Amino acid sequence: MDSFFGVSTTSIMLVLLVLLGLSFATVIYVILRNRIMFFMGLRNMPRRPAQTVLIIIGLMLSTLIISAALTTGDTVDRSFSAATFNLLGHTDEWIQRFGEEEGPPRNIESVIPQELGERLGAALEAADDSDIDGYLPLLFEQVPIVNPESGQSEPSVNFVGVDGALLDAFPDIVSTTSGEILNVNALASDEAFLNESAADTLATEPGDQVQIFVQGQEVSFTIVDVVEDRVITGVGDFNVKEGLVTRLDTLQRVFDRPGEVNIIAISNAGGVRDGIGLTDSVVTSLDRLFAAEGLSDDLAIYDVKRDLVESSEEAGNFMATFFVIFGLFSIASGMLLIVMIFVMLAAERKSELGMARAVGTKRGQLIQMFMSEGMAYNVVSAMVGSALGVLVAVGIALVMGRIFSDFFDIQPHVTMRSMVISYSLGVVLTFLTVTFASWRASNLNIVRAIRDIPEPTGGRMGRRWLATGLIGIALGVLFIYYGLNSNLAFPFAFGASLATAGMAIALRFLGLKERPVFTSAGLFLLLFWGFTAGNRLEFLFGKLDGDFEMFFLSGIVMVAASTFVFVHNADIVLAGLSRLGDSFSPILPIMRTAVAYPMANKFRTGMTLAMISLVIFALTMMSAMNLNFNLLFLTDNARGGWDVIVDENPNNPIGDLTSALEAGGDMEFGDYPVFGVDAGFVDGGDIPLGNRARGFETDEAVWEALKTRDDVAVVDHFALEAGGFFGGDGLTISGIDENETEFDPVRLILQDPISGTQTAVDIIGVIELGASASFFGIYIPATAFRDGFGEPLLTRHFVRLNDPDESKAVAQEIEASLLTLGAQGESLKQRVDDDQALFRNFFLLMQGFMGLGLFVGIAAVGVIAFRSVVERRQQIGMLRAIGYKRSTVALSFMLESSFITLLGIVSGVGLALWLSFFLITSDEFPTSDAGYAIPWFRILVISGFAFGASLLMTFVPARQAASVPIAEALRYE
Amino acid sequence: MATTSPSTASLRSPDGEIVIEATNIVKTYDTGRVQVHALRGVSLSVKRGEMVAIMGPSGCGKTTLLNCLSGLDVIDEGRILIEDVDINQLSDNTKTEYRAKRMGFVFQFYNLLPVLSAVENVELPLLVAGEGAKKSRQRALDALGRVHLEEWASHRPGELSGGQRQRVTVARSLVNEPAIVWADEPTGDLDSTNATEIMDLLCDLNEKNNQTFVIVTHDPGISARCHRTVHMRDGLITDEQTSAAAS
Repeated sequence: MDSFFGVSTTSIMLVLLVLLGLSFATVIYVILRNRIMFFMGLRNMPRRPAQTVLIIIGLMLSTLIISAALTTGDTVDRSFSAATFNLLGHTDEWIQRFGEEEGPPRNIESVIPQELGERLGAALEAADDSDIDGYLPLLFEQVPIVNPESGQSEPSVNFVGVDGALLDAFPDIVSTTSGEILNVNALASDEAFLNESAADTLATEPGDQVQIFVQGQEVSFTIVDVVEDRVITGVGDFNVKEGLVTRLDTLQRVFDRPGEVNIIAISNAGGVRDGIGLTDSVVTSLDRLFAAEGLSDDLAIYDVKRDLVESSEEAGNFMATFFVIFGLFSIASGMLLIVMIFVMLAAERKSELGMARAVGTKRGQLIQMFMSEGMAYNVVSAMVGSALGVLVAVGIALVMGRIFSDFFDIQPHVTMRSMVISYSLGVVLTFLTVTFASWRASNLNIVRAIRDIPEPTGGRMGRRWLATGLIGIALGVLFIYYGLNSNLAFPFAFGASLATAGMAIALRFLGLKERPVFTSAGLFLLLFWGFTAGNRLEFLFGKLDGDFEMFFLSGIVMVAASTFVFVHNADIVLAGLSRLGDSFSPILPIMRTAVAYPMANKFRTGMTLAMISLVIFALTMMSAMNLNFNLLFLTDNARGGWDVIVDENPNNPIGDLTSALEAGGDMEFGDYPVFGVDAGFVDGGDIPLGNRARGFETDEAVWEALKTRDDVAVVDHFALEAGGFFGGDGLTISGIDENETEFDPVRLILQDPISGTQTAVDIIGVIELGASASFFGIYIPATAFRDGFGEPLLTRHFVRLNDPDESKAVAQEIEASLLTLGAQGESLKQRVDDDQALFRNFFLLMQGFMGLGLFVGIAAVGVIAFRSVVERRQQIGMLRAIGYKRSTVALSFMLESSFITLLGIVSGVGLALWLSFFLITSDEFPTSDAGYAIPWFRILVISGFAFGASLLMTFVPARQAASVPIAEALRYE
Repeated sequence: MATTSPSTASLRSPDGEIVIEATNIVKTYDTGRVQVHALRGVSLSVKRGEMVAIMGPSGCGKTTLLNCLSGLDVIDEGRILIEDVDINQLSDNTKTEYRAKRMGFVFQFYNLLPVLSAVENVELPLLVAGEGAKKSRQRALDALGRVHLEEWASHRPGELSGGQRQRVTVARSLVNEPAIVWADEPTGDLDSTNATEIMDLLCDLNEKNNQTFVIVTHDPGISARCHRTVHMRDGLITDEQTSAAAS
């Protein structure tokens, strides 16, 4: 991982090390100048061991999340790049035909004729570049293969031909049995090496005979050995690794391509990993060579290894950023916990702090004392957090390894740089939070502190609050102005929230009561965030652009707003409880105190509620978005009325699928080409459109036009978004607003890359998002296709079944029937299901990671419960004296924690549903027409876990409360 | 310390039935390093309707005796009969139920739940004892009426004066019409005026309801208004005096 949020990780590490140094320097200053304050801080640590443990757990969670995220980034980076090195072996670059697209071997369309290959070979030999170890011409062919002995087959594997005379620089054909480096020169003309993946799929061993099919003709090869998966042993890409390799002349003969190759691989001097350092120099010298030999117009060089390694690093950076962003809610909760813990510690020691102030301790010295204590916790907890973060990352790597097992081998990996960043960031964040909390704690009235009198509440606020309020309003207005001017949602929404908070504070100064002011401000913000979601108020504010950061901002602001509303109004619940009938009277007092105590301490209840609510909000929001997207892609519409896709093998065209299938099965079917749409495809399919050109009243009218005209086209939804087609790039169609159902036809020029023939078509329809994953591409009339592109190289056939549930079996049956032709049958339902399963599992992993934040809330519940037992010792004694049984006291504590947790859950779930509803049903969202679904089951699981865990956490303090000796408690002060 | 001025209110003479009978009570606290012999063999009998003051210097064992007699603390040796029930033979739950139904408590620092209103604090023992919510509320309001605080029923303790809070505590201790009321320094945190008011109230309730009161106090003014004063020192009863007010 080399960058994080776009900034170099080394720079981040250096800055954090400086900040870490400053944090430690501050503590060292305290030790040197006020040693007594430092030791007073430290001596507080062992006073309440259980509480100390909870504090350390609370403090370490932020570090743990950061460490886990960064280590996951390292793991992905390392695993992906390892896969790349493994896949390419000694191939660092390759030379391909000029003008052809760069990509994995499976997609290579480059063809280098014999004459060109020979000229290049001679030039490379003559140049004798010391940076280049060697070159290797490669020919790729995709073929169906079957092992008659095992009965296993594969409709398409990559068959590679390599020149054995040039293999010295490419020791990549390695026997899996002996570990020996093999050479194809040792093979006879009917022999080949099978790679490991193919050997697994075909259950083939050395000595077995396999059959491939070329133009429908069977050709037999004896497998001499099984070799490791590499590009030169037939790996097509990260998804399709099955392949086999033989002599170049053998493959050229079998496929009647004398002298032809697809690419010429280059191996830089050095090994598999270090050769990449010479890429720039090799590319430059090859470019120079091409120019000198007059090959620049014919050949191009692709720095494949560097390209893929850089992609791996980007994937690692993305993953780390992704996990940190999703962990932000937990990190925010962790910081709230730190503030709450220190405020509670200050409350616990209020009398002694008052005494300290009375005998001459300055406010700054109290800050130093708390800071010393905080840093002592911090140093330990950040260390534990970093280490545990690595453990969590190992867990994530194991789960990811299972999810992506078809593509990559994910191995946990941690770098010292990430550890330093995690530790430093954890310490610095906690230091800042502790310093703030210490400042707040030191801000006490000496007399009230000594006598332990509660601070006055509800009165008129001082001028400082007015100033704060006015500054909030002014800054808020500035942000709103900036947001509206730059069409950015973040500053606009942040400004509106800030201005509202400032307004509430200013109104308090004017003497308005706390409850109506904060309730109104909170409700306004909740309404504001709901109604501005998905640009619903575009007519008022114009279209504002927002991205993922809005998720975090919305969560923070809405949770804060809802917390204010709850803590100022939850006594309504209390009033409701008082009206409960006689049947509840035995537990009425318990329920009453369970509600009354949290309501009496708005700060700590609000903080805990916010911590739980934040994480529950994030988890529920993700679940809601996930469910609604799933529904969109899983509906029958996503398959457009088709059940099975059959792709022809270019080496073995099927011709008339109807006749071919009539021999093999009793089923209903259709026969349609990809891109070039014929009447059968239009009549048999039912692909829904999301947008239509003006003048076309129905989807059917659009599809009918593809039957009757030759100048129109339909495109998938992804073509409207930056990045172009699904999985592709280079095309973004402008002029169509995806939010408008109608648009003016957009002219599209299509050019055949081989002949250069251009075809002009008007886009008259855009396929609905849900079906676009299955039907991505441009669909034009068959006549227009043939005029522009000639006969298609590949034909895709769509099959509609009487019983769509049989699609998987039928796809396999088709594949078996047409095995010798190498046709690949795929159940559309299965494909959609597989994609969803992958997405769902990854999503669950993310949820699990985000769920770590729940421990913050649960720890907070525990801290409060432990603290309450100490604070209420005398009251517990009194309750026991007047008739509370031990179990009643314990139940009272459990119910109290339950009440706070439930409020947090209700708040988090409610806010997430509120926001997701407005988002998902807005025009801005592609899912808006599909309605809105609530992920009840997931909500139940998340809420159940949070509730159960908080009960468990309260169990110990509740037992402690229950076993308080009455007489001793009554004496307690 | 607050003192009370002599009052003209007279006490009802206790009847002959013994409601509290403690025999040779021993209680030792083990703090780990030292053993504190709080009660070294105390014997005491209290009749129904009697108002007994326990006096003595700090640390003499007054509060420990009150706690042991009321079942809030366990004894090491001896026997305590409350209304002929050996309280130390009861399980914790039974003892708790017994306290809820037959005893009331008044503490020096009121020990009201700050988060509940006055009436909610007063009705707490009734609800805990299984009384219906509506009936409990009515009885709590009646009890507050008896201590002249009906108008303050919905106020929380933080909104009441010290004297008012102690009157709420008295109302709470009497709401379940207990046989015995235990009071530990009931006027210790009050000024003299409030202390007198509280003592008038207790005497009045004793007079009207024939309830037994055991009061731990430092204040001779309070002991003077009780039927009997028991003096303690070093964990032993050293002297007993019958008050003139009771005669």
